[in-house]
Amino acid sequence: MSDFVQIAENLVAGNKPRVRELVQLALDQGESAKKILDEGLMKGMGIVGGMMEREEIMIPEVLDVAQFMSHVINEMLKPLLLEGDMNPYGKVVFATVQGDVHDIGKNLVIMMLEGAGFQVIDLGIDVPPDTIVESIRENQPNMLGLSALLTTTMPMIKTTIDHVIDSGLRDQIKILVGGAPVDQEFADEVGADGYAPDASSATQLAKSLAN
Amino acid sequence: MSHKGLQGGHYRPLSCEQVESLHAAALSVLEKTGFSYEAGLDETLEMMEEFGMRVDRGDSRIYFPREQLMELVSKAPKRVVLYSRDGKNDLYLEDDRVYLGTGGAAIKILDLETGEARHTTLQDLYSLGRLVDQLDNIHFFLRPCIPKDIPEALYDENVFYACLKSTAKHVMAGVNDFDGFHKMMDIASMVAGDLENLKARPFVSVIASFAISPMRLCTHSTRIMLEAVRHQIPVALSCAPMAGVSSPITMAGTLVQTHAEQLAGIAICQMIQPGAAVLYGGIPGRANLWNLGYQGGSVECGMMNAAIHQLADHIKVPNYNSSGLTDAKIPDAQAGWEKAMTTMLAAMGGSNYVHHAAGMLNCMITVAHEQFVIDDEIIGLSCKVLAGIPTDPEHLALDVIDDAARGADFIKSAHTMKYMKTEYFAGNGVTDTKNLDKWINAGSLDAWKRARDIAKKILARSTSDYMPAEIDSAIRKKYDIRL
Repeated sequence: MSDFVQIAENLVAGNKPRVRELVQLALDQGESAKKILDEGLMKGMGIVGGMMEREEIMIPEVLDVAQFMSHVINEMLKPLLLEGDMNPYGKVVFATVQGDVHDIGKNLVIMMLEGAGFQVIDLGIDVPPDTIVESIRENQPNMLGLSALLTTTMPMIKTTIDHVIDSGLRDQIKILVGGAPVDQEFADEVGADGYAPDASSATQLAKSLAN
Repeated sequence: MSHKGLQGGHYRPLSCEQVESLHAAALSVLEKTGFSYEAGLDETLEMMEEFGMRVDRGDSRIYFPREQLMELVSKAPKRVVLYSRDGKNDLYLEDDRVYLGTGGAAIKILDLETGEARHTTLQDLYSLGRLVDQLDNIHFFLRPCIPKDIPEALYDENVFYACLKSTAKHVMAGVNDFDGFHKMMDIASMVAGDLENLKARPFVSVIASFAISPMRLCTHSTRIMLEAVRHQIPVALSCAPMAGVSSPITMAGTLVQTHAEQLAGIAICQMIQPGAAVLYGGIPGRANLWNLGYQGGSVECGMMNAAIHQLADHIKVPNYNSSGLTDAKIPDAQAGWEKAMTTMLAAMGGSNYVHHAAGMLNCMITVAHEQFVIDDEIIGLSCKVLAGIPTDPEHLALDVIDDAARGADFIKSAHTMKYMKTEYFAGNGVTDTKNLDKWINAGSLDAWKRARDIAKKILARSTSDYMPAEIDSAIRKKYDIRL
């Protein structure tokens, strides 16, 4: 019986060599890769997310943990995982809307979503509504994430959502919106399914919408 | 009495050697790292090659050889004058002369009646312009909020109309697009009488955020920037990297990158029109690495913004930057200290055109009428410091000392009568100096509430606006004005 709690705790503490040792030990003891992922690594990442929300850990440290976790998964677990194991919550198409070139917040949310078990298709910055609609058609995600940093580009979130509605795709996806000037009131106005003020809450929200 | 345009430069966070070394570092960044660029700038790239820049189209990168670069930068005027409409608030931007005013693109306002945050409207923009017009220590009116109650396609004409109607002070704003720039030119020309009048005394100017930090040319804003240059409208080359996310975490690294971005922008403008009036628009900022917010109220922002003026002054281009930002959500004590520190440092640093200095709260998301009143006081106090202490014989007052030492009273002397209203800063009334009993009897009002009363009084004064009826109707005939 492996100690998954220790994997999670060492991940949170940033003890990288110890995490690798514990993951290897668990594999040697015959634990399934999926169980190590779910009960060890992702649990640890969930704790990090909570710390981030309470501002107990700085963002560069969060990114460092997330990146390390992704290395461990790719190098040690991926060959042993079944399709779907890594992304139990499904697929999200993500973009910074047209006219806006800011992506730091978006990238942070994407990293947290990936760390929590979503597959994310990142369309990047300054993405026209047409491109977003095409990507929904092509990738069939269950969620769409839209981001804007500027007060002057926020209206483009609404334009994009309207475009999704006009394309007849609105019913098949949940839409999440975020970015510094965005708030719940705005999210309601533009007809989004959810808004989160930070990356960690965004992950929680995405999970609840996925279920 | 307003102390506008006084020389700052008392606070210089960088030594001469440090300025030299940061400037040299920026030149080397432009030579070795260069700028990347977005699609759609083909003509600009060709022009840059003609002026000796090296464009690697395979790698989408522009390199700036230092000699050719500095040759271009040296063509930028060392003095830019931004005019007011009535001549009372012309801004002579040069050397260490300091002017401070509003700025931003806030989307929320603390309602003057309820104190609650709500969306900003076109009427709010107009009302804030009216308020700023009568607050003497605020030297210009840069559009501080976005009219959320009108369609985005109507922003540009309505924003400039509302600003120009509300105040005679210099008006600056960003424009949404190329068309928006021309709408602004058209409306401003109508107000000026004709285009030639406007070009002779530009009382409007624009902001172009031409660079995406780090070191990338934004096509959309670069085109607006160059169109402004072609039409002889002064343009602020805004770039605002945040230390830790869009520039190095260190202050020195952020200053080097900001300076490099500015050198490139200034050089490109001078290619179009040698002598083009541009403002060095580097605004070094700091990211909040706990939540990725913009920590504009931090003391280091005050330090870096004083330092960036030194770098602008080193290449003799007047600068545009920020002070008075705060993370505080309401006009509270934190707003007070963050604003006072950064604005005082900006003034003492000698920054020429300091925007955001009045009205902003909550990381640039919110404005409040009351905060403009409080910031008018903070700016006035900061500029008072620049006035220094006069020590001519009249001010030394040896005769007055002699008289008093022989039995006369200072409080009855003609000297006191002569100087008591000019020697010390007289504010707008928001600073409470009453004794305790009177303060209690007046309702125990804190600064926020006192500022609210002052704002309401100013707005209730019936003074005429700045849009003559015939021009007003001409503009309304042509544009969908919602005010």
